[in-house]
Amino acid sequence: MPEIFIDNQRYTFDKPGKVLQFMLDQGLDLPFFCYHPSLSIPANCRQCMVKAGMPVYDRDKGIFETDEEGNRLIRYFPKLMTACNLDMSDGMVIHTHHSDELVKQAQADNLEFILINHPLDCPICDQAGECPLQILTYKYGPEGSRFEHKKVHKPKSIQLGPRVILDAERCINCTRCVRFTDEISKSHQLSIVSRGDKNYPLTAEGESFDDPYSLNTVDICPVGALTSADFRFKARVWEMNQTPGIDVSNGKGCNTYIWTRDNLVLRITPRFNEHVNDHWMPDKGREYYREFNENRVSGPKIKVGKEDQVGSSWNNAMLTFKETLEAASPENVLVIGSPYASLEDNFALKTFASHLGITEAFIVPHIIDGYGDGLLLVDDQAPNTQGAALLEFQKISASELKERILKMKPEAIVCLDDRLLDRESTLQEVFSSSFSIVFGSNMTKTSQQADVLIPVTCAAEHTASYVNSEGRIQRTVPAKETKYTHRRLNLEMSMSRLDHFGTRYDNWVNEDNKIDCIPAWEFLGKVTIENNPIVWESSKDMLEHLSASLPVFEGVSYPAMDSQKGIQLSIPKS
Amino acid sequence: MRPEDWKQYNPVLLPPIPNLHDIQVYEKNSGYDSLKKILEDKENWSPADVIQEVKAANIRGRGGAGFNAGLKWSFMPEPDGKPRYLACNGDESEPGTFKDRKIFEYNPHLFIEGAIIAAYAMQVDAIYVYIRGEYRAFVQMLQKAIDQAYEKGYLGKNILGSGFSVEMYTHMGAGAYICGEESSLMESLEGKRGYPRVKPPFPAQKGLWGRPTTINNIETLANVPLIIQHGAPWYLGIGKETHPGPVLYGISGHVNRPGVYEYPAGMNIMTLINDVCGGVRNGKKLKAVIPGGSSTPPLRADMLDGVSMDADSLREAGSMMGTAGMLILDEDTDMVDLVWRISYFYDHESCGQCTPCREGTGWLQKTLFKIKSGQGEYRDLETLLSICNGMEGRTICALADAAAWPVRYSIERFRDEFESKCKKTVYALA
Ligand SMILES: Cc1cc2nc3c(=O)[nH]c(=O)nc-3n(C[C@H](O)[C@H](O)[C@H](O)COP(=O)(O)O)c2cc1C
Ligand code: SF4
Ligand code: SF4
Ligand code: FES
Repeated sequence: MPEIFIDNQRYTFDKPGKVLQFMLDQGLDLPFFCYHPSLSIPANCRQCMVKAGMPVYDRDKGIFETDEEGNRLIRYFPKLMTACNLDMSDGMVIHTHHSDELVKQAQADNLEFILINHPLDCPICDQAGECPLQILTYKYGPEGSRFEHKKVHKPKSIQLGPRVILDAERCINCTRCVRFTDEISKSHQLSIVSRGDKNYPLTAEGESFDDPYSLNTVDICPVGALTSADFRFKARVWEMNQTPGIDVSNGKGCNTYIWTRDNLVLRITPRFNEHVNDHWMPDKGREYYREFNENRVSGPKIKVGKEDQVGSSWNNAMLTFKETLEAASPENVLVIGSPYASLEDNFALKTFASHLGITEAFIVPHIIDGYGDGLLLVDDQAPNTQGAALLEFQKISASELKERILKMKPEAIVCLDDRLLDRESTLQEVFSSSFSIVFGSNMTKTSQQADVLIPVTCAAEHTASYVNSEGRIQRTVPAKETKYTHRRLNLEMSMSRLDHFGTRYDNWVNEDNKIDCIPAWEFLGKVTIENNPIVWESSKDMLEHLSASLPVFEGVSYPAMDSQKGIQLSIPKS
Repeated sequence: MRPEDWKQYNPVLLPPIPNLHDIQVYEKNSGYDSLKKILEDKENWSPADVIQEVKAANIRGRGGAGFNAGLKWSFMPEPDGKPRYLACNGDESEPGTFKDRKIFEYNPHLFIEGAIIAAYAMQVDAIYVYIRGEYRAFVQMLQKAIDQAYEKGYLGKNILGSGFSVEMYTHMGAGAYICGEESSLMESLEGKRGYPRVKPPFPAQKGLWGRPTTINNIETLANVPLIIQHGAPWYLGIGKETHPGPVLYGISGHVNRPGVYEYPAGMNIMTLINDVCGGVRNGKKLKAVIPGGSSTPPLRADMLDGVSMDADSLREAGSMMGTAGMLILDEDTDMVDLVWRISYFYDHESCGQCTPCREGTGWLQKTLFKIKSGQGEYRDLETLLSICNGMEGRTICALADAAAWPVRYSIERFRDEFESKCKKTVYALA
């Protein structure tokens, strides 16, 4: 197998590749800025310098030449090489800052160069704390700067587009943002303007950076030059908890991080998953964070007669729920699952309904034809259409549902967290003629017209699974607390990760902003009907049961999903 | 014709023939004969034969790097039926360099003919001539010559009935020095921002629009018809064997008769100054010579003994041939001021793609300005040298080296002058 020697250590490699990526794969450290594994390699930051050489090969003898001591003779490249675009080859010798003083010097020189015109306004910069420039400077940079002249001044606070703001002085010209719009989102909206140390990225005149993926440039910008117009100045990164999540704003199911402070979600960023979303996610999915904070249903609500909803106790809500369903004959209860709700919640509802003798249950998929863009947005608007379908909820259209209601005149409608009436306004009148029980996380039109409204957790608050449009099952963990959960005591949570920036002592959570809600399955489990089939202690147990009883979920469990970045189920793509 | 016999030398690139830019005059003076020689006798002049002849003539690129042109051509891969290109570098932006314009002005057909022969040798489909934007008038002259060549059937489809076809286009730069660097020239031709490309891949592998491309300087190509006409041995007989052929010396600065002079390569520098250019202006003493454009290290007058204008001699003396754009500096020259002005140029022209160049050029310039305006301190000289260390050999293209060398070598060679401008910092002894 071909071999490469890095800092006098031998490694073998089985496929061709670049030295920097190989080193990163091996867990070796080398400073870099412009390189990004999913973008082209411009080698323009010049930070990843290494000393590289090849053994001298004697063609006639067919052997490597050696010195007196039997060591291979190495012919080094006359200049330092950038590791990011250097192809590995058999026998190559690499020296980094660990074994070569010149490399160390070159790395420090380069950082000194980068910093001479950098504003060094870390104390007021959003990137501070998660800034490669800051981190690498501490690690590899010079002790101080010898630059004593006026820095180059460039425009600040340029609104590039609706969601992205540029501080050109902070830009280190790595061109990652430009390459992203050229190579990934293909909007070609950014390019570097001006020349030399006056360079910075900009849109064409009169053009707005309204790329539906624009916020990815904020993530990959290695400094605080590109910031999110929404998140800007809201929080320091070390004040937030960072929890893995799933984008529930679209059927693609992009993997995310949910950033919280004081039980509020402050931002959502993509989490790398090569099977789903690579390093990226659409802006729409990030803006969805508001749904986790705002306009939430907190505490059960009940309508008395034709009056508005009033607050109710959980006991009262449960009792009303139970009595309504017991009073109605099973064939007169319409059960509507939700492509927006988790697999576990849908499963609990289905199980509960069957227990009551209700054989049919439906979902209304939310598909917008032509919405998908071939990148990270698909036609399916809901995160779990596939999951609900696997549980044998019948897919019907809104108009079919309407007809069915008109024909059936149900005594009660039970509807899982969905924006049915918000997206299908024609359902409004037919809904209001029946007694409706809605599990809702947000105060939507659907929630508002409910006779009994049960507040349920959102994707940022519960542990639950979702099957994306490609049939990949992935799960969420609580990122923010409800009235009834404690994030740090939450087993799932503490097993899954340590906070990136936090220590065990500074979890930024308090009693504020906690919503009075529980997962739908938990509510159903608490209803005091005879032989309640929802017997599981946790959603984890429930998923284990599902995995054991439904062949399609064989081998599926939370730990398996975590270690394999989700599990592809063997079902056709929707 | 060796450099010693320069007085007998008759110019071949810019012969003193009136109206040579006109195709009829050019043809009368055996113009396009080399092209005909090849295309009418393709048996004996296969593309490989042409490359071989040019390679044998050992013509060293006149664009700055001095690379054997025939060898460069031989890097082009076998034709595969898809397009390939020749790009002619007429960007001529290095301060002190003004020779290609003479070719556009006085003998454009020689260049055109050379480019067509090169195109034939490398089997390319199109020739792009990239000309600096400030040369508007010369672009028009060249365009006129190209039009004439089309009319006469030297360009276009089925040239002279030989079955060989090639098109020629002119393209004007927009005032960026960096677009003279071959890979950013290609980016610019493609309509993109003039950022030099990372090598490898080299242009012969992946050039214009990802296809094999060769880039040559205008003067380099103008030599080609002469080599074909007279043969490689004749060419090797001009100038130095290691650096043969005629050279356009663009001499400027403090001499009595500045201008572009054509002589054999390897001319003695003092001969060029004293005999060709009529000596240093106003009877002043010579201080230094920058031999090949502003990026080449300056040579102090006392370093010039026996030094001639060819790659080997200049390397030995501690400089480079570059573009043979010589700057002659007299004793009144303020070296700090001069180096600052050169630095200012590179600061202004750095494309800003790579860190050491983007930041280093500005830092050099600002530090030199500080010294020049009497605010410098001795330690600034060390800072300057270490900035040069951080730039040289650490960037994508050679502009960073071009910016660092004049500074490094001026400080090394004129240190007292730099120090005399620095403040005499007095440190109190405790
Ligand atoms: C910063 C920079 C500027 C350059 N400018 C020019 C130029 O204006 N004209 C030119 O012919 N070559 C220029 N060159 C050299 C070209 O990159 C290239 O080597 C040359 O055109 C090749 O032609 P030749 O082999 O015929 O010399 C420049 C190189 C650098 C690094
Ligand atoms: S704005 Fe950020 S991503 Fe874009 S070039 Fe500058 S530093 Fe790089
Ligand atoms: S060395 Fe300077 S001019 Fe050349 S690519 Fe780098 S920044 Fe641009
Ligand atoms: S990572 Fe920027 S040059 Fe290698």
